[in-house]
Amino acid sequence: MLNLSAFEERRTSEGRLVGVRAFFALMFAGLAVVFWILQVLQNAKYEGLADSNYLRTIPLRAPRGVLFDRHGKVLVENRHSFTIAVLREATKDLNQTIQKIADATGVPEPTIREAIERRRREPLFRPLPVIEHASFEQVAAVEVRRRELPEVLVQQVPTRNYPPDRMAAHLFGYVGEIQEAQLAQTEFSELSQGAVIGQAGVERTYNRDLQGVDGDRYVVVNSRGREIDELNEVAPVDGRRLQLTIDYDVQKALEDSFRVGNHNGAAAFLDPNTGEILAMTSLPAFDPNAFAVGINGSAWSRLLTDPLRPLTNRLIQGTYSPGSTFKVVMAVAGLMDGAITPETTFYCPGQATFYGRVFKCLGHHGSLDLRHAIERSCNIYFYNVGQRLGIDAINKYATMLGLTGKTGIDLPNEEPSLVPSTEWARLNRKSAPKWYPGETISVAIGQGAVSVTPMSLATMIATVANGGSLVTPHLVRAVDEGGGWVPRPVATPKYAIHIPPNSMQAIRDGLWAVVNGEAGTARRSKIAGRDVAGKTGTSQLVSLERKAQAARAGMDVRDHGFFVFFAPRDNPEIAGVVFAEHGAHGSDAAYIAKHAIETYFAKRDGLPLPVLVPPGTPAVPAPAVPSRVIAQVPGVRTQASSQ
Amino acid sequence: MIDRRLVPHLDWSLIAALLALTLIGLVTIYSVTWDRVAGGPGNEFWMQLYALPVAIGALFLCLLIDYRVLAQRSFFIYAALVAALLYVAYFGAVRGGSRRWIDLGPGNLQPSEFARIALALSLAMFFGDSRRSARSMAELLFSGVIVVVPFYLIMRQPDLGTAATLLPVYLGVVYLAGLRLRWIAIAAVVLALLSPVIWSYGLQDYQRERIEMFIDPSKDPRGAGYQQIQAKITVGSGGLYGKGPLNSTQGGYGFLPVAHNDFVFSVFAEEYGFLGVIVALGLYLFVIVRSLDAATMARDRVGGMLVVAIVSGFGFQVLYNITMSAGLAPVKGLTLPLMSYGGSSLVATLAGFGLILNVRMRRFTN
Repeated sequence: MLNLSAFEERRTSEGRLVGVRAFFALMFAGLAVVFWILQVLQNAKYEGLADSNYLRTIPLRAPRGVLFDRHGKVLVENRHSFTIAVLREATKDLNQTIQKIADATGVPEPTIREAIERRRREPLFRPLPVIEHASFEQVAAVEVRRRELPEVLVQQVPTRNYPPDRMAAHLFGYVGEIQEAQLAQTEFSELSQGAVIGQAGVERTYNRDLQGVDGDRYVVVNSRGREIDELNEVAPVDGRRLQLTIDYDVQKALEDSFRVGNHNGAAAFLDPNTGEILAMTSLPAFDPNAFAVGINGSAWSRLLTDPLRPLTNRLIQGTYSPGSTFKVVMAVAGLMDGAITPETTFYCPGQATFYGRVFKCLGHHGSLDLRHAIERSCNIYFYNVGQRLGIDAINKYATMLGLTGKTGIDLPNEEPSLVPSTEWARLNRKSAPKWYPGETISVAIGQGAVSVTPMSLATMIATVANGGSLVTPHLVRAVDEGGGWVPRPVATPKYAIHIPPNSMQAIRDGLWAVVNGEAGTARRSKIAGRDVAGKTGTSQLVSLERKAQAARAGMDVRDHGFFVFFAPRDNPEIAGVVFAEHGAHGSDAAYIAKHAIETYFAKRDGLPLPVLVPPGTPAVPAPAVPSRVIAQVPGVRTQASSQ
Repeated sequence: MIDRRLVPHLDWSLIAALLALTLIGLVTIYSVTWDRVAGGPGNEFWMQLYALPVAIGALFLCLLIDYRVLAQRSFFIYAALVAALLYVAYFGAVRGGSRRWIDLGPGNLQPSEFARIALALSLAMFFGDSRRSARSMAELLFSGVIVVVPFYLIMRQPDLGTAATLLPVYLGVVYLAGLRLRWIAIAAVVLALLSPVIWSYGLQDYQRERIEMFIDPSKDPRGAGYQQIQAKITVGSGGLYGKGPLNSTQGGYGFLPVAHNDFVFSVFAEEYGFLGVIVALGLYLFVIVRSLDAATMARDRVGGMLVVAIVSGFGFQVLYNITMSAGLAPVKGLTLPLMSYGGSSLVATLAGFGLILNVRMRRFTN
């Protein structure tokens, strides 16, 4: 074996060298094929993967339009809030990341986990907000751990900033992330997941104006998720500014007034000539700021399950018996229909029989005309008016005064009001599709099948105040589309009654006496020199017989109080409604209205704004009426409604 | 010292190809390490640039002395290598968990990079000079011991990748020395049978993990499989013409780790596309074939074996690295000769080619 000849050996080694060459040539050819497949045949696939590695689209949220009050005061604006977000794509161990964030910020781990869990279906490249509305300390704590936590981002997001104390919460509404069902609607067809839209109130109705157009930043990121270059930026377009019809001071006075008396309820003040709403509220309210920073699940369910239903806008979503405030409608209808004249008198013996049934009055008023009947809220008088009119005439004028259907206010989810008619009875009564004349008597004092929203009562009294031209209540005066304020067109009245002057005067006199007369039910709300005219009403929740039983069951059975008004009497410039939930009596509602009305006039005349006197303070503004007297005042509460 | 008559026999085309590949590597390192903030290439680029003249110097140094003189002194060279490796084992600089370097102040020396040359000289001397044949089992085993000592020392660093590059050097020499093909077949079968045992006892956890990830990289796309997936994306996104210099997104933005080093070819493929790859592969193949010419021309067995030893080590490493660059081989810390960042590697590689040029240049000398 060792004795190979040199020749043989050379031949072997040459042959083997050829083998080595062939081996390498073959291998390199193979590599060329591999690169051909990867780079040419599968190029598109890998190019896409490479692009998604380093290209990021970062949404830039457009600041929503600023809301001003009618005098230019800023009501709702935007502020920058910090959001701490996790880029899941860049996380190695999500649990560890959560734990580190929790350590740094002091936010409990489960809260962070829940925030991620809630949005786990979103794409991995989208930063998931885990701490919204973060404090400066939290932001700083995360920033100093940049190297340790490259997957955690701090984003600046324009966030809605609403006034404190839940002011006008239902008016403004709130914003929130678009829901999946909404994405399918044509209105939001340009939006994508994660967009923030108005979900209630003006934010919802005027969302198109307010939302602006979100922008995008196209950036290059490195493997640690850090932005290293910006390719392009499509700047967001700010939402349009809106000038609301609201007067900040009146609004505040109104809400303060509710709060001081510890009342829940609703109210709306408007300009009876235009329908512009100067102030409106519904209490209890929610804090829209909580929604602006992304409300969490438990806070949301607390709001939903709260027995006082703070999310409901009682002004337009609650329907109630209007009680004696409905007598204003009866007066207008009676006069216009010719059933009565201002001088028509009826005798009130304290009770009367209609269609074989006894209907009661709270007083024994004797013979009185329309003016006095309104002042003293005599049931017998209006029973008679109702009997003469019949239900369909009542329905006709109630409709022309805005008390049926929706008022058309520019807020979402308004409930329709109902004043019955024979047609209504025919369509809605399954077993006995028929209206009974006896029912008309109850309707005449705002009981029975009458069910209206406080807003529709405000529309009614404003329409009466301006002489019969139906107003459409609205909240926006002007929009800035970029070139200054453009007034919003005012809707032409759907109906106009044209109440004759002598009729008008009688109604005004009667309503003035309610507030200013010796025996008026709203005497406590008298404002010297302002000639407030109004009418109280009490909405009975349950009949007297069932009251005790319901109270034992834990229900709040106290009656609701209503007050509708306008002022000044002869040339009204403000009108409205106050609804005091479980306020027991309309006079409570009237007293709530007083401070806000005073504020309105003081502001108009450039006087110092009135200071609210808390209840229990001895210095009760004139006229000081002992509560004992109030208790004796014939109210609108009527046993007759318990049929 | 050098005979003037030898100069015309110098293989300039091989030198040109080597320099071309080195420059391609430099340009790619320039691009990968580009610092957007500072607006210049990273430190690695300058280190590599400074290493280039040293490497060219090493190449010419290896030309000057007749390779036979070197081969005759290969025992001393081998002893020096083992001494250096032992020194590293006890006093070497530790980086990334491995003890591979001798700290030289401004730079580092990685002795294991020179193991191949020392081994090539020793084995060429062993088989070529004494007319030993690899047909004898005894010779085969004895020469095996020559390999195993540095192999073990390097593997212990731990640096299995570099250690593994010693095997093709050995295989190349014994193949040329007449190793029976039957034995190669038997060895392959034995290795296949032993592979479960090697899997269980012969590999570290991280090595097993790397192989597992190679088989299914999607199993752990953030961990061990990450580099492999990203390597494929890097190469594949290059397309036919590439993204152009400085336009690497995968390497430039750090999605592909150690892009200037182990994965330099991936980034090269990303920036210059399939056409660039064909040029680079062509150059590498040219270098290998041209070097093998030198083996054929060599005036003696020592020369031929020396060339084959060096080319085998070089060729194996090139093939493995490029396959890995395309995401088709388990990720090993194995650099691409001539192109990857690493001064020691460049110096050692060019020194090796100095020897090959040496053999070719002195083919007529006696």
